[in-house]
Amino acid sequence: MRRKEPEVSTVDEAPGRPMPLASAVEAVEAGRLAAVRRYAALDTTSGAAFDRVATLAARIFHAPFASVTIAGDDTVRVVAAHGPPPRSALLDGLCAAAVRHGGPHVVDDLLRDPRAAGDPVVRGEPGIRFYAAAVITTADGEALGSVNVMDVRPREAGDEELACLRDLAALVMDELEIRLAAHRTVEVERELRAGAERLARTLQRTLLPPALPRVPGLRAAAAYHPVSADEVGGDFYDLFPLDGDRWGFFLGDVCGKGAGAAALTSLVRYTLRAAAVYDADPHAVLANLDAVLQQEHAGGDAPAPYCTAVFGVLQPDGDGFGVTLATGGHPPALAVRADGTVEPIHPAGGQLIGILRDPHFAQVSARLNAGDALLLYTDGLTEARTPTGSMLDEDGLTAHLAAAGPTSADALLTTVHDLITALGRGVSDDTAVLALSVPPITRTPSSGSLGAA
Amino acid sequence: MPHENNLTVALQPHVSGPRLLVVAGDLDHHTTPHLRRALEEIEFGPGADLVIDLSGLTFCDSTGIATLVAAHQRANDARGALLLAGLDQDIARVFQIMGLDRLLAFYDSPEEAVRALSG
Repeated sequence: MRRKEPEVSTVDEAPGRPMPLASAVEAVEAGRLAAVRRYAALDTTSGAAFDRVATLAARIFHAPFASVTIAGDDTVRVVAAHGPPPRSALLDGLCAAAVRHGGPHVVDDLLRDPRAAGDPVVRGEPGIRFYAAAVITTADGEALGSVNVMDVRPREAGDEELACLRDLAALVMDELEIRLAAHRTVEVERELRAGAERLARTLQRTLLPPALPRVPGLRAAAAYHPVSADEVGGDFYDLFPLDGDRWGFFLGDVCGKGAGAAALTSLVRYTLRAAAVYDADPHAVLANLDAVLQQEHAGGDAPAPYCTAVFGVLQPDGDGFGVTLATGGHPPALAVRADGTVEPIHPAGGQLIGILRDPHFAQVSARLNAGDALLLYTDGLTEARTPTGSMLDEDGLTAHLAAAGPTSADALLTTVHDLITALGRGVSDDTAVLALSVPPITRTPSSGSLGAA
Repeated sequence: MPHENNLTVALQPHVSGPRLLVVAGDLDHHTTPHLRRALEEIEFGPGADLVIDLSGLTFCDSTGIATLVAAHQRANDARGALLLAGLDQDIARVFQIMGLDRLLAFYDSPEEAVRALSG
């Protein structure tokens, strides 16, 4: 609808100079500035649409100058300009006054206003005489800025011209709303994505035991080396009591990354714990996990979920432990013996879990004697690139551990930590590490005589 | 380490003998769908075999492995054969640790794979 009576006024206050404001006016202005700030976050510099509005406004009035401006608290920002008009405190003041008035704002002849007549852009070049503005107003009535036209001859503004100017101001508002909506969509999406990643990271952390249990006669230590703070891997481990004095442990890696991998890790971890209660035989535990993953996938279109894992059972035996270990497609566990030699404890032929028909899981038994340590790790470590560009592999890791000599669970973790740090950017995947060791026998030569005393 | 090599997949039909699928670049969760689509279009059957030339493969992640395993199972079901040729030493090592060497046949070159099929 067209307003019949445009509010025609002269410049009613000195432009560019702050005027004293009553608190009510201040409150209104605060609301308006909040609206300005809401849209100020938008990129209005790449504004072909705004440039077109300015050009169209000038053409409609057959005037040399036009602009699209946003009025901040003490500055007027030119979003687009045709001409362009000179920057001047007088013109900024006119824009600010138009916003304060809210309606169309027209000055027929600036030279007839004593406060404007002396201004350089009126008296001198380019000699601006005429000013008309339509206000850019939000849906909830806050005035953000204006579409302005300036002419070098005194004149009147026609109804039709002012109606067009108002339509152009409304077009600018529409464009700002579209940009705000797009901006918010992007923001919301970014927040959602960040939220999902945070959730996945939190979930992943809950899938790792906060602390390993104390196993009599055994030292145990574990660590998780994430390669990126943004992306969650699917490495997992655990150490837990079985029946009697036996203990179960596992370490593995699920396929994929992110929230999907975290969910799969959860399934794998709880399946391993439950399967071990049902039948702790390591081979049977992996076969059960395989059956569960195969069922999980049955009929689905999604890529088949699978994992690699080592599952072991520890049984106290004399000074040490008997270890029974089964693997499914996982890199070999390495034993660092009390004399410093390193040997793989690895049944040959174990295959990926959850994806193959009739997979083969292999099992082997070994002993951990006093002073021996056992290292389980995920392939983030062995697939890391050394400075020469080759894969570290089991051989590189074995050589590194052999150089470090006899060790304990805690010292093994430090050795691996230092190695990962040294490999730096050569490490491209998360690495989980679980280390077990049997403390060396410490002989106290005088214990016999003390006991007799 | 970023994997920035694009994946190329090209099927070379043979007048006689197996078809040859040449796969080069990085096989990861972004590029694997490309290979999966190409493999799904290949019919397997008795004597309708496929050799995949992986000598240009620079990286293979878990989704790539899942796709190769799925194609192998489909070939098996149809009594056809799927052979892998020219695998990079490091990738071959990873496949071996995963126990895939018990499942998939690896050959040094496509020619060797073709000879194995005709022999």
